[in-house]
Amino acid sequence: MKRKISVLISLLFLFLLFWAQWNWKHLSSFPSIISSFYSKEFCSCYFVMELSEEQCHNFARQWVPISEFNLDKENKSVTVKGLGRTNTTKYLSKDYGCTLVSD
Amino acid sequence: MKQSLVLALLILFTFLHCGKDLSPFGGEPEVTTLTERLKPEWPSPNWKVVSPESVGVSTSKLKLVEEYAFTRTGDETDRKGRRTDALVILRNGKLIYEKYGRNFSEDKVHLTWSVSKSILQTMYGVAVKAGLVKLDDPGYYHYEPLSRDEAHKKITIRHLLNMSSGLAAEEGYESGPLKSSVIAMLYTRGRKDMGTFCAGLPLRAEPGTQVYYSSCDTNILSAILKKVYGAEEYDKLPFEKIFKPLGITNVTFERDGSGTYIGSSYLYMTAKDLAKIGYLYLNDGVWNGERLLPEGWVQFTRTPAPGYKTTPYSEDLAEDNYTAHWYANTGVPDRGIHEPWPDAPKDTFAGLGHWGQMLYVIPSLDLIVVRFGDDREKAFIKNDFLKLVKESVIR
Repeated sequence: MKRKISVLISLLFLFLLFWAQWNWKHLSSFPSIISSFYSKEFCSCYFVMELSEEQCHNFARQWVPISEFNLDKENKSVTVKGLGRTNTTKYLSKDYGCTLVSD
Repeated sequence: MKQSLVLALLILFTFLHCGKDLSPFGGEPEVTTLTERLKPEWPSPNWKVVSPESVGVSTSKLKLVEEYAFTRTGDETDRKGRRTDALVILRNGKLIYEKYGRNFSEDKVHLTWSVSKSILQTMYGVAVKAGLVKLDDPGYYHYEPLSRDEAHKKITIRHLLNMSSGLAAEEGYESGPLKSSVIAMLYTRGRKDMGTFCAGLPLRAEPGTQVYYSSCDTNILSAILKKVYGAEEYDKLPFEKIFKPLGITNVTFERDGSGTYIGSSYLYMTAKDLAKIGYLYLNDGVWNGERLLPEGWVQFTRTPAPGYKTTPYSEDLAEDNYTAHWYANTGVPDRGIHEPWPDAPKDTFAGLGHWGQMLYVIPSLDLIVVRFGDDREKAFIKNDFLKLVKESVIR
């Protein structure tokens, strides 16, 4: 019985491993979504739409909470950390608004 | 007893599996011709403001439209219910109603999300009129990433405008973030260069044969325009060729890491300025005597994508009548698709965006309606809203 269970668990683990490899490009970029979305939407909300910080947090927040947030009003940029990934969005100009900074 | 139970279950299953009937019920969609407008009023640069009654609209009926749009139907902290940020209504080219909510005002720009797509289509109208591109040009003529293989080489500009490229995109937002190509494009793997990222998707269907709404199609179109015009001209293109002639100065159009306009999502405008885009289309692409869009462009804009006829059944196929980066209300009878807003005039056409952004043009009633919002759930029912708008017109 015990052996059956351990075989089953090993098979399940192998299956998970295959699935993870199969979907690796999706899985590896997934954690970054939280902080990039938050920083991009907050930047545009605050610097382009000119709404309050409170309203912009409400606009940008998602189901997964963020761990760090920094609004740099002088350099017009927003840096956010979530799920262990950090992303920054910069405000460029009135015409072109905000752009996510590429690593 | 057992038999009747089985029978009951069978009946239940039959009903549960009863999808939408998409069998043909008529011929081609009827796209009426735009009526000649006798004395169009032009904003210079602002709309003339008049009372609703003076242009045949009932103020008391308009109150019901206002109630529908601005009555809060859910908890603000949970972002529930209808959350309207702006509502602007024009009749006969004159402003009859304007109201803002949730800290927006007439001079604050608002994110238009996918309404941006309809303005990117305006940029194409300008490029076609200038003779720089043709609708049936294969995309790779102008844009190298689409020359990957023979299959990708078949994708034309018309296919992309009709959301019929056949590229295997996944347009899921909150529902399926893991495999969503639109989220990968905007926020992670594609953000440095959205056009190249999207052109790299494999094909799921022969170009032109399947309508699949995809932000990728739009951003490939945007990247093609950058090649057609050259980076310097392209940077000024929407501002010089569209916004300036229409007197739109308060506007922001964001770009990806390579300087391509994110035509799928990130155009910011005021409600009254977005109404000008609608008005340009209501006047068949002519603005104050000057033709900005080619003859026939608005007709093309109002015609459902031909690819509908061969698009396989899916649950959401019958939800809207997608045209060329705009939406129609004609139905697609030869595919069995009814009009999405049965209580609105059949000639209504629209630019629509995520979380409740809407630009409606109703030629038969000479109406333009812009509604901005931030609905995080399906709380704003377009047909109910349009019914009230239609009923406010008394002559």
